[in-house]
Amino acid sequence: MSKLKLLLVLPLIAIFALVACDANGGDEEAMAEAQGMMTEAQGMMTEAEGMMAEAEEMMAEAEGMMAEGDGMMMESRLATVQGRGTLICASRNDVPGYGSLDSAGRNVGFDIDLCRAVATAVLGDPEAIEIRLITAAERGPTIQSGEVDLLVRTVTWTTSRDSQWGNYVHTTFYDGQGFMVPADLGITSAYELGGASVCVTSGTTTELNMADFFRQNNLEYNPNVFEDTDVVLDAYQEGQCDVFTNDRSQLAALRSALPNPQDHVILPETISEEPLGPVVPHGDEQWFDIVKTVMAGLIYAEAYGINSGNVASMAAGDNVKAKRLLGTEGTFGQETLGLSQTFMQDVINSVGNYGEIYNRNLGPEGIDLPREGGRNALWANAPCTDCPKGGQIYAPPLR
Amino acid sequence: MLKLLYVDGIPVWRNIVVLRWVVQIVSAVLVLSAIGLFFVNVSREIEAREIPFGFSFLEREAQIPIGETIIPYDPSDTYLYGLVAAALNTLKASILGVILATLLGILVGVARLSTNWLLNRIALAYIEIFRNVPLLVQLLFWLFIVLSLPRVRDSYVLFDAFYLSNSGLYLPWPAAQEGFWPWAAATAIGVVIAVYVGRRLRQRESDTGKASYPILAGIAIAVGIGAVALLVLAPMTLEIPKPEGRFARPQGGAQLGGSFTALLVGLVIYTSAFIAEIVRAGIQSVTKGQTEAARSMGLSTLLTLRYVTFPQALRVIIPPTISQFLNLTKNSSLAAAIGYQDLVSVANTMTQIAPAISLIAMVMLTYLAMSLTYSLIGNLYNRSIRFKGT
Repeated sequence: MSKLKLLLVLPLIAIFALVACDANGGDEEAMAEAQGMMTEAQGMMTEAEGMMAEAEEMMAEAEGMMAEGDGMMMESRLATVQGRGTLICASRNDVPGYGSLDSAGRNVGFDIDLCRAVATAVLGDPEAIEIRLITAAERGPTIQSGEVDLLVRTVTWTTSRDSQWGNYVHTTFYDGQGFMVPADLGITSAYELGGASVCVTSGTTTELNMADFFRQNNLEYNPNVFEDTDVVLDAYQEGQCDVFTNDRSQLAALRSALPNPQDHVILPETISEEPLGPVVPHGDEQWFDIVKTVMAGLIYAEAYGINSGNVASMAAGDNVKAKRLLGTEGTFGQETLGLSQTFMQDVINSVGNYGEIYNRNLGPEGIDLPREGGRNALWANAPCTDCPKGGQIYAPPLR
Repeated sequence: MLKLLYVDGIPVWRNIVVLRWVVQIVSAVLVLSAIGLFFVNVSREIEAREIPFGFSFLEREAQIPIGETIIPYDPSDTYLYGLVAAALNTLKASILGVILATLLGILVGVARLSTNWLLNRIALAYIEIFRNVPLLVQLLFWLFIVLSLPRVRDSYVLFDAFYLSNSGLYLPWPAAQEGFWPWAAATAIGVVIAVYVGRRLRQRESDTGKASYPILAGIAIAVGIGAVALLVLAPMTLEIPKPEGRFARPQGGAQLGGSFTALLVGLVIYTSAFIAEIVRAGIQSVTKGQTEAARSMGLSTLLTLRYVTFPQALRVIIPPTISQFLNLTKNSSLAAAIGYQDLVSVANTMTQIAPAISLIAMVMLTYLAMSLTYSLIGNLYNRSIRFKGT
């Protein structure tokens, strides 16, 4: 038996000997006892050494893991998405205009198109998306965990969500909360809602604003809180609650899908600010910047008059700003972000500019929310920068 | 030196004591490192993703609305209070559900064993249907049944006091007045006296063999004292709901909410189907000889069930039934889907402005505490009825 082996076995024996002594009640010979004690002492020393070595080993291992972990953190979300080949977006399919299914079962909507735009920018394919359907209350935990790349589910930008959930990228739609009631109640103002039962989706700013509004105005009310927008709508239609509260644009969308839209009125009061837009997980600034740039690209494309029909001619034209956006002249940071020089060409070709996305889903071809003159119009009419159109859709300059 | 490898004259690799220890140590190390890895991983990810964690929010204003609560709640109350109110909602569904599911389960289980063919088959169909359809589907089914009732403005009205609509059932309810607590105290004393008298009478009955009606006497005493105190102190007035305001929602009295009713019915029916099967198994586990012996002593079918079969079956029935109670309690978390604000629903809403991890940890602990309490009570009861060595 080699010495090395013996050395390895010694500490083990020490422990076992201890146990054995315990079990036998110590009626061994003096010699054996002495020997045992010596072995024990020896064993303990070796053991201690062994433990030290072990501890060192564990430290090294832990460091290795940390390094590995850092390495994993170093792998950017962009690389992850490109490696995976699909962009995972958390969204919905229950509100026409924002996220729903068309007759072919394809995900369509304003939020879905924003997801497609980002997918085209980083993967070159508007179909390379995976839509995770989540309820309103699941939005926070979903984006916090980082299991999705993008959250586009009519999410209102608030300060505490921004600090806790993820990074809000850009306001892509300005909304406000309103109330819808059956027309036969004869109600004309939200201030007449005292004593009503109000239907609302759980886990939304809507729920909180409603509480504020009724408390502020000293109105009695009874909240009816459901998880799914579908069920909220059922409860409202069946008259379990007298009032349905949500963002005004969603109310309009849902109203248009009711059997007799004219039997329901949306009250004039807007009780809150609801800036909606995409959210990315905390912890990856490059990814944050990429989504920001894509949103800015969509908005400036509209401002410069670039649409899905004229990308090629604009890219070859003489408008310097448009050519920069399309990547045929100069740069606005594509390289730093890890995107191709001409990614905006693909994006506009496949999903169109901001205005096209709006019109297709929320405008005349969609649920027909008026845009011109409203807050969701562009800030200016391109290429003139000093002729504002009064809207609030604006983005940092592409440079 | 080779001697060192021997313990008690047996080589270490064949010494059972040594081997047992090795197995214990190795498995302990494995389990501990798995747990350690889990915690290290979680805390690293929490830090990397800047996920907030902590419990300071519990003292702040919750700001969220809760529709139906047992204790008075307002959005200006704290998170902690809101969570307590929500937990009480869960507890209300759970306790009522457990009681009703047990009663219904026993009825169906006994019916399942009936010699009456029709009764037997109906019980069978009941069990198989409700046991095999997912609970969430059943809950939505009951919700839509509730929703199909007329809306509150067109309620079914009975005696101008009961209003049934898809918002629930509004019914007259006593409202506490000044003398409520003295009355409650008097009634409690009455109950104590009734229990004492009942025991004495039962003792007398078993000592002398004379019929003394201990239960009847006890109830009479308790009700009598309570009623006299009620007349003297006038602690409560009956509040009758009345439709008020533009929305004609009845005010006053008590309300059995529509969503709560759907939840309770769904949970009770689903769980009772399982309990019925447990009851059937329990009764069938009592040997036929017991029944035959009881019958030959002249006991009726009902008395046989009451005094011979059921007490023995209980020993088999109790442990799995406790699991069903736990299931019912945990299943009540599906309430969020049908609009009853239980603990999970409220905590989910709170995650918007408070750390989700802390909230979910609190929810988990609350359910754990509830379940362990049920288990404890159940096990204590089980111990009291099990065979005691003869």
